[in-house]
Amino acid sequence: MGMKTRAEYAEESAQQVVDAAATRWQGTSLVAEVRNHKSGMARPYVFIDCPRLHWRAVAKWLRFEMGVDHCSMITGIHWAEGPAEKKWEVVAHLMRMNVINPPVKSGWTEQVIRDPSILQDNDVPMEFEISISIPDTTTPSVQSVQEVWMGADWNEKETWDLVGIDFEGHEGMRRVLQPHDTPVGFHPLQKQHMIRYHDYEIMYDDPQGFGRKPVDEGKVK
Amino acid sequence: MAEMWISMGPQHPMTHGLWTLKVKVDGETVVDTIPDLGYIHRGVEKICESRDFTKITTYCDRLCYASANTWAHSYIYAAEDLLGVEVPERAEYIRVIAVELQRIASHLIWLGAFCPDIGNLTAFVWCLREREMMMDLLQELGGSRMHYNFPRIGGVKRDLPIGFAMRARAKLNLFLNRIQETEQMLDESTVFLVRTQGVGYAKPEEMVNWGVTGPNVRAGGVNYDVRWAHPYSVYDELDWNVSVERPSIKGADSYDRYRVRVDEMRESAKMCLDALDKMPGGAETHYTEGDPMILGKSKQRAEEGQTGFHHFEDSRGESMFYLAGGGEQRGKHPYRISIRSPMFLTIPYAAKCMIGYKIADIPAIMGSFDPCIGETDR
Repeated sequence: MGMKTRAEYAEESAQQVVDAAATRWQGTSLVAEVRNHKSGMARPYVFIDCPRLHWRAVAKWLRFEMGVDHCSMITGIHWAEGPAEKKWEVVAHLMRMNVINPPVKSGWTEQVIRDPSILQDNDVPMEFEISISIPDTTTPSVQSVQEVWMGADWNEKETWDLVGIDFEGHEGMRRVLQPHDTPVGFHPLQKQHMIRYHDYEIMYDDPQGFGRKPVDEGKVK
Repeated sequence: MAEMWISMGPQHPMTHGLWTLKVKVDGETVVDTIPDLGYIHRGVEKICESRDFTKITTYCDRLCYASANTWAHSYIYAAEDLLGVEVPERAEYIRVIAVELQRIASHLIWLGAFCPDIGNLTAFVWCLREREMMMDLLQELGGSRMHYNFPRIGGVKRDLPIGFAMRARAKLNLFLNRIQETEQMLDESTVFLVRTQGVGYAKPEEMVNWGVTGPNVRAGGVNYDVRWAHPYSVYDELDWNVSVERPSIKGADSYDRYRVRVDEMRESAKMCLDALDKMPGGAETHYTEGDPMILGKSKQRAEEGQTGFHHFEDSRGESMFYLAGGGEQRGKHPYRISIRSPMFLTIPYAAKCMIGYKIADIPAIMGSFDPCIGETDR
C-alpha cells in the first residue's frame, strides 16, 4: 500500500520550527509562519521572511539546528514596479530531507527505510521558503550561503548570471548558462530587458497580430 | 608525469547532450574536472514571462526530450498551487498513469544510452524496443510521440481512450517480463559488471548537500522520495514501494544506480496497473472532453503577490517550479517563473565524483547519473 507523511504530524512539526524561530530570532525583523499549499493536499510548509543582513546566520541556524540538509533552489526576482523597499527579492527553497548515510553493521551496510506514517517532530520532511527583500539599488547583493550547502553554489551562480543579484563571499562566481563573453552587467531576467523578435521591441503574445501597436505598422513579423 | 587539461565535449558520446567537461589528467588518472554548461540555453524562463499560464505547458514539455510529461506535470502542479485549483480524483489517476509511463520511457532511454557507452549495444536495441510500447501508450493519451502537451490546469483535457486500459495492461505485463531479460543479460555480462562496479562512489549525505536527489540518492540506500515525503496526487492510494539499493560501505557505485533505476521501472509499471484498477469511474469508461470528472474549474489570473511552488519527483530527481504572480501584466502571465532542474546540480557533483578514477571510467560514472542537458540549460 502506498504511503505518505501524516498531515497532523507535518503541521505540528512546521509549528515547532516557527516557534523555535520566534525564540531564536527574537528582536530581529525575521518573521516565520506556517503556510499551506493552495491546491491538492493542503500540505503545510514554513515560510520565513528573512532580513537581508541575517541571511547567512539564519542559513546556518537552519542547517545545523533545524536539520535542513538540502538546498533545493535559490532564485531572484526583479520587482521593477514594486515598492522601494522590495525592488529585488531572493527566494530560497530548502528541504529537510533527514538523509543519513546507511549504517554499517559487521561489514555490510543497512538500508535506511523510513516509515512515513510514524515520522514526527524533526523527522518529518519539510519544505521551507525563505524570502529576502533587497531595497532599491543598482547593485543588489545578499550574503552567500555557499559554505552552508554545496548545492547553493551553482544556484547562486545561476542567480547572478541571469538576474544580476550578487552574492557576497561567493568564491568562483562565473557565468554558467550564458556565454563566458557576455557583457559585464547584462543579466537577461532583469525587467528592463524586453524579449525582442526581429524588429519588434516586445514579443506580443499574439500570433495573429490583433494587438499590434501603430508603431509597428509595416514591419513583418 | 605532467598534468594536462583535455576537453570532453561539446561533441562527445559521453556527454549525452551538448556540454563540455574539462578534465585535468595525470597520465590516465583524472585529477580535476570543470563542467561547462549553457550550450543550449534557450531562455525558457524569460519567454514564459510573456505567456499565459495555459500556454507555458508547451514550453515545459520541451525542457527535456526524454521525459516531457513529467516536466509538464511539474509545472501544472505549481500553477495549480498558484491559482488554487482543485483537481478531480479521476484526473489525478490519469496523470499518475501518464507520469509513470513517462518515467519508464525515460529510464529505458537512459539504459539504452548508458549501455553502448560501456560496450553493450544489445541493451540499446532492446530498451528502445520496449520504450516503443510506452511511446505507443503515451501517444494514445497525448496524441503525439514526444511532446504531449497533455495535462491542463485543473485536470486533463481528454479521458483515457476507449480500449486503452486493455492495451496498457497487456503492454505493461509484457514489459515486466521483458525487462527481466534485459536485466539478466546485463547482470551476466562481465564487461558490464567490470565497468560499472566499484566506480563513482557517492554517499547519500554528501549527495543531498550538493543538491543531488531522486534515484541517485535512493541508490545510496535511503528510501527518500518526494512522492511520499511531500505527498501530491494519489500516490498514497496506490500499491508501490520505494526502490532502494543496498550500497557498499564506500557508497553507491554506478552499478547501484543502474539497479535502482531498473527496479523503479518495475515499480512504475505496477503503479500504472494498480491505477487502472482503482480509478474512480472505471478505466473502461470514457468521459467526453472537458467533463467535470476529469477537468476542474480554474482561474485565469493570479492575484497580486501570490506565489506557488511544487516539489515534484521527476525521473532524474526532484524538479520544482516557482511561480510569482502579479506585476504589470496584472496576473495574466507569471511575473517570474523559476525552474529547478535536478540535473543542473547533479552534473557538478558527478564531475566531482570522477576525481581519482581513470579516463575510461568517465562515461560509466557520468552516464550512470542520467544527465539530460535540455533541462539543465533550460
